Amino acid sequence: MTTDATPQYLAIEFTLNGNRVDADVAPQTAAIDLLRGTFALTGTKRSCDMQVCGACTILVDGTPISSCTVPAFELRGRIVTTIEGLATDGTPHPLQESFVQNASLQCGFCTPGMLLTAKSLLDANPHPTEAEILDHMQGNLCRCTGYKKILEAIVEVAEASG
Amino acid sequence: MTERAMRTVGTSVPRQDAREKVAGRAVFTGDIAVPGMAYAKLVPSPMPHAIIKSIDVSRARAMPGVYAVLTGDDLTNMETRYGSDKKDRPIVAIDKVRFEGEPVAVVAAVDEATAEAAADLVDVDYEPLPVVMDLVGALEPGAEPIHDSNLCHEYHYEWGDVDKALAEADRVFEDTFTFPMVYHYAMEPHTCIASFEGDRLRTWTSAQHPFLVRAELSRIFHLPLNQVQVVVPYVGGGFGSKSYTKIEPLVMALSREAGRPVRLSLSVEEAFRTVRRHAGRATIRTGVMNDGTFVARDCLVYVDTGGYTDNGVRVTERVGDRIPGPYKWDNLRVQTYGVFTNSTPAGSYRSIGGPQAGWACESQTDIIAAGLGIDPVDLRLKNLVRAGDEVRRGSRPLEGDLAPGIERVLDDFGWRSYTPQHPSPLVKRGIGFACSLTNSGASPTSTALARLNADGSANVYFGTAEMGQGSRSVMAQIAAEELRMPLDLIRVFASDTDVVPYDRSTGSSRSTTLMGLAVHDAAIEVRQQVLDLAAEHFETFPDQLIAEDGQVSFKGESVSYGALVREMFGGSGGELMGRGYVTPNHPAGKLRENPVFWEVSIGAAEVEVDEGTGAVRILRYVSAADPGKAINPKQVEGQDEGAAMQAMGHTLFEEMLYEDGQLLNPNLVDYRVPTFADLPPVFDTILIENGDGPGPYGAKGVGEGGIVAVAPAVANAIYNATGVRIRELPLTPERVWRAISETRGS
Amino acid sequence: MLKPFRLHEPTTVSEAIDLLREHGDAARLYAGGTELLLAMKAGYLHYDELVNVKTVAGLDRIWKEPDGTLHIGPVATHAALESSPLVAECRPLLANVEHRVANVRVRNVGTIGGNICFAEPHSDPAAVFVLSGAQVEVTGPRGTRMVRMDELQTGPYETVLADDEMLTDIVLQHEPDGVRSAYLKFGYHHRPTLGIAVDVLLDAGGMIIEDVRVALGSVPPVALRVRSAEDVLKGETVASVLADGSLVAARAGEIAAEACGATSDLHGSAEYKRHLVGVLVPRAVAQAITALPHLAGGSST
Repeated sequence: MTTDATPQYLAIEFTLNGNRVDADVAPQTAAIDLLRGTFALTGTKRSCDMQVCGACTILVDGTPISSCTVPAFELRGRIVTTIEGLATDGTPHPLQESFVQNASLQCGFCTPGMLLTAKSLLDANPHPTEAEILDHMQGNLCRCTGYKKILEAIVEVAEASG
Repeated sequence: MTERAMRTVGTSVPRQDAREKVAGRAVFTGDIAVPGMAYAKLVPSPMPHAIIKSIDVSRARAMPGVYAVLTGDDLTNMETRYGSDKKDRPIVAIDKVRFEGEPVAVVAAVDEATAEAAADLVDVDYEPLPVVMDLVGALEPGAEPIHDSNLCHEYHYEWGDVDKALAEADRVFEDTFTFPMVYHYAMEPHTCIASFEGDRLRTWTSAQHPFLVRAELSRIFHLPLNQVQVVVPYVGGGFGSKSYTKIEPLVMALSREAGRPVRLSLSVEEAFRTVRRHAGRATIRTGVMNDGTFVARDCLVYVDTGGYTDNGVRVTERVGDRIPGPYKWDNLRVQTYGVFTNSTPAGSYRSIGGPQAGWACESQTDIIAAGLGIDPVDLRLKNLVRAGDEVRRGSRPLEGDLAPGIERVLDDFGWRSYTPQHPSPLVKRGIGFACSLTNSGASPTSTALARLNADGSANVYFGTAEMGQGSRSVMAQIAAEELRMPLDLIRVFASDTDVVPYDRSTGSSRSTTLMGLAVHDAAIEVRQQVLDLAAEHFETFPDQLIAEDGQVSFKGESVSYGALVREMFGGSGGELMGRGYVTPNHPAGKLRENPVFWEVSIGAAEVEVDEGTGAVRILRYVSAADPGKAINPKQVEGQDEGAAMQAMGHTLFEEMLYEDGQLLNPNLVDYRVPTFADLPPVFDTILIENGDGPGPYGAKGVGEGGIVAVAPAVANAIYNATGVRIRELPLTPERVWRAISETRGS
Repeated sequence: MLKPFRLHEPTTVSEAIDLLREHGDAARLYAGGTELLLAMKAGYLHYDELVNVKTVAGLDRIWKEPDGTLHIGPVATHAALESSPLVAECRPLLANVEHRVANVRVRNVGTIGGNICFAEPHSDPAAVFVLSGAQVEVTGPRGTRMVRMDELQTGPYETVLADDEMLTDIVLQHEPDGVRSAYLKFGYHHRPTLGIAVDVLLDAGGMIIEDVRVALGSVPPVALRVRSAEDVLKGETVASVLADGSLVAARAGEIAAEACGATSDLHGSAEYKRHLVGVLVPRAVAQAITALPHLAGGSST
C-alpha cells in the first residue's frame, strides 16, 4: 500500500456535451462514474463492466470508448459526448428519430450506446454498406431486439442523408 | 351502424417510452438516488456447498464509512425465508450455503468503494460438504442432500394406456436430449433501493412483479400491504430473471440494520449467480405407426433447479406440460423431476420449460421422420392438434389450427422448392423446421384504472412492469381506442404499488391479453359515463351519440369530454374514473379455462455447416408469431425477433460451465451472447392474426413462442445438411465437429 | 471497482524508467489500460503506482525509414494502426488484423505496446509480428536493446521485460515486393480461439511457392512460427497446394497441429484446437496465395 496518505486528485477540464466543465478526480475513478455521479448524466449505463457490451459507450473526440473502464482523468482536454448531448437544441438526431420510428429499442438499456456508436460510424462514413454497419456495431450488444430493427434504422439514416 | 374503424390499435405507433429512451432520460433503478442512501456490496460464498461455521464481521464493521454488515444472525423479528411456491430461500445464508455466490453477508457503506473494501474484510469459516452437480445422480440414494432431499418437485400425468400402445406400435423411438444452463443476461443487472422506515417499507426495484414483491415484503416484515410500497421504474430487460422476489428482502433487511435507505446494484457476475434457466435432460420414448401416426409417448424429464427452488415448481410442471407439443396423443405419460444441485438457483426464463421440451420433442420429430422415411413437415401436419381439440386433457382447447401458420412460414421460406447449394465439399447447407405450443397467460388477475381529467386528457394506471416488451404503448393504444380519444392525450402510469391497482405479474406473455382487457374495460367504463353525461347535455339517449377524438357529437353539434366533466362538477375541475377487473369470471367468459391461451412457436432455418471446423451459421430464419390481433405490429415483430435471437444464443454458444460447483464463465468475455454478427442475412417474422384470442380485439400474448423453435429447427437443419444428429446444446463448433467425426467414424 | 492507485505522468522515457525503478513491483506501465485495468478490476492484479506512458511525447509515432523499415510507437492505438497510411503501405496485413481486434471501443483506446506486453495468449497482433520477424526496442536503466518479437513473450502474461524496462519502438522490416498475406481468425468468443498469419512469396511465374511463413496465435501459449510446416510447402506448386484434398497442404496442417502446443480451456479442448490448426492452416495458406501481392508504394488487401 502506498505510504503517502493523502489521496491523489487530478484536476481536469474538458468539454462535456458542448459545455466547458472541470472536475477533481481520483485516478481510479472510471469515466462512467464521473459522468453518472458528479455530472448526474445517467443516460450512460453500466452493464458488463468489461468493454464487451457497449452499454457504457460515450464519444471522446467523436470516437466511441468504454466509459466503464477508461479512467475519468483520460477525459482531460477532450471533447466528450454522452447520449444527453446527441440531440441539438432539443431536436433529435436523425438516428434518434429513426430508432423511434423503426421500433429499434425495447428495454432501452443498450440504446444510448447503440446510438452513439452508430453516430460515430455515420460521421466517419456517411454511406456505409450493411456489412460495414454490422462490422462497426458488432461490439454493441442488445438482448431485446434481435438487432434487425436497429440495423434497419441505421440503414435508413445512411440512405436518407443525400 | 357500420363497424367502427380502429384509430390506433393495429398501428405501429412509436413506443410510449421511445423518446425518453433514445434521449437517455428513461429512469432505471440504478439511476435513482434517495436522500441519505447508502451503497451495498455482497459478500458471496466461494463454496458451492458448505456449513457456515462462523462469520467475523468485526473488521468490516469497524471500517470508517460502514453503516452496517448484515448476516443471518441479524434476521430477527422477521420471516427469514422467501420464495414463490416454496419459501426455501433464506434472505441471507443461514447456517449453510448451497451454491457458489450465495450471499453470506452484505455491507452498507457511504459509497461503493468503501462497501467493497469492507466486504473483503468479512471473514467466513466454512466446512465444505460434498458438491452435488449431477442432475440424475442428485436423486440417487447416498447423494448429499442439499435440502431435506435433492428432490424439489415432481409432476406426473398420463392418459390412455401408454405401455399397451407402445407395445402395439410399429416402431418405438427412444432418445435422450440435454439442454444447458444458460443465463438471461438482461443488460441491466438486478438493482434495488430499499428504505426501511419502521412501520413502512419503500423500495425501488428492477422487478417484473411489483405486487408479488409487495406481498413478500409485507409477509416478511409483518406489515400490512398498504404500508409497503414497491416502485418499479423502467426495467432494463427481464426475460424472467426479475420475476418474483430476488434481492429485495436482503436490501430491506440491510436498510433496517443500517438505519437508512440502501442501494444494491449487482454486477453482471453477481447476476449470473442470482438466477438462470433450468438445465434439463429428457428421455423420450415415442411409439408410431409406419404411416407416421403418433400413438404413444412416454417421457422422463429432469430439470436442474440449482441451490434453491425459485420458480422450480412451476418449471418442473410446465416442462412436462410442453412435452405433447402441438400433436395429438391418445396415450401419453410424462414424469418430470425438479432437482436441486449446488449451482445458481434456476427460475423463470422466457417460456419456462418450453425451449427444453421443444428441443427434445421437435428434434425427435425429425428423427422419427428420418426413421420412417416420411417428410418431416408432412409428419407434423399429419399429427397436429386441430382447432377445438384438447391439447392437454382438461385444458382449454386450441384456438386456431397451426397448419395455416405453418404453411405461411414454409411459403415465405421457400421450403418445398429448396435445393441446397453447398459452397464446397466441406461446407454444407440444409434446412430444418420445428413447431410447438405452450400454455401461456399465467393467471387472470389484473385490474386497471382510467381517469379522465377536466381538460380532456386522461391518465391510465396499471401494474405491468415495462421491461422492453412495450406494455406501456399497448395499454395506451387500447385506452385511446376505447376512450375514443387521441393517443397523445393519454398518459400511462405503471408499476408503483402505492398508485396503481393490483396486477399479479408481468410474464408468461400475459399482459396484452389480461391487463389489456382490464385497461379496455376501464376505458369503456369512462366512455359510458361520458356518453351518459353527453346524453344529459344533449337531452337524448346515449345510443344516439357518437364519441370520437375526445368529443361527443349529436346531430352536427359536439361537446368535448373535458367540457362534460366540468359541467358535471360545476366548475373548472373534477374527473371521471373507470375500473377494469380481470378475474377468471370475466364477463366475456373466455378466461375460465386454463391456459389463458396457447402460444405457438413455428420456425424454419437454413444453416451452413463447415464440416472442417464444426462452425454453424444460420443463413435464414423465418418464424411466425400468433398475436391474434397485433395491437402494435412492429412491437410484436420486435418481440419475436428478440426471442429468436436469444434462442440463437442457447442454440449455438451459450452455456454456463461449472467445475466442482465453481462457475467458470460468469462474465461476458467468457459467456458468449449473440451479437450483430449473428444476425442471419434473412430474418423474418410473420404475424398470424385470426382474432381468436381472449384479449381485446381477439388478441393473445406473444414474446415467448419465438424462443422455442430455433434450437430444434437448427439441429434438424444440421441433420439435413450433414446427416449428423446432435442431442446436446449448445451446438458449438467443437460439439458439432465431434458429432460429425463420431457419426462418420473418422 | 478499481482499488485506489497513484498515477504518475512522466514526460520522458528516462523519467518513466526512473519511476519504475523507484517503485519496483508496486508499479506498472499504463497505456490504454484495456487489459490491465480489467485485470485490476477483477482483483487478479493490483498496482499502487501506475505510470502513464501516454504522457511521454513521441511514443505513439508511426514512421518509416527511407529503406522502408516501419517503426511503430508502442503507444499507438489499434485504431491508429488500422487507419495509418504508412501501415497500409508497408505492412497492410497488420492494418487488416488491427481492424479485427476486439471491438471498435477497445481499438480506440488499447495500444499495440500494451497488447504485446500484457501477453494475453488469446490475442491477434502477436501472430503478425512473429510472422514478420519484428523486433521491439526495449529501454531500461542500462540502455536499449533489441528483442525479437518471438523471444519477447515467454508465456501467458509473461515477457522478458524487467520491472524497470519499457518498450520504446516496434520495428518491422520492409516486406519484399510481391508478398501475399492473409490472417485467418477463428472463434466465437470475444477473444480469438485461433489466428493464423501467412506470408507467401511466389516465383515470377506465380506457379511455385518460393517462400512461405506461417505463424499461429491464440492456440499456442505464445505466438509461434511453425517452420516445420513452412518447409513442407516451400518449393511446392501453387496448383498442388490449392487442389481439393491437397496432401501437401494437409501435411503442412498436420505438422503445424503437432507443433502448436494447444491446451484445453474455455475455447475448447486441446484435441479440437489441434484439429482446427490442421484444418485451417491449409485454408490460411490458400487465402494468402490467392491474395493480391503487396506492392511497395501502394497498398493491397
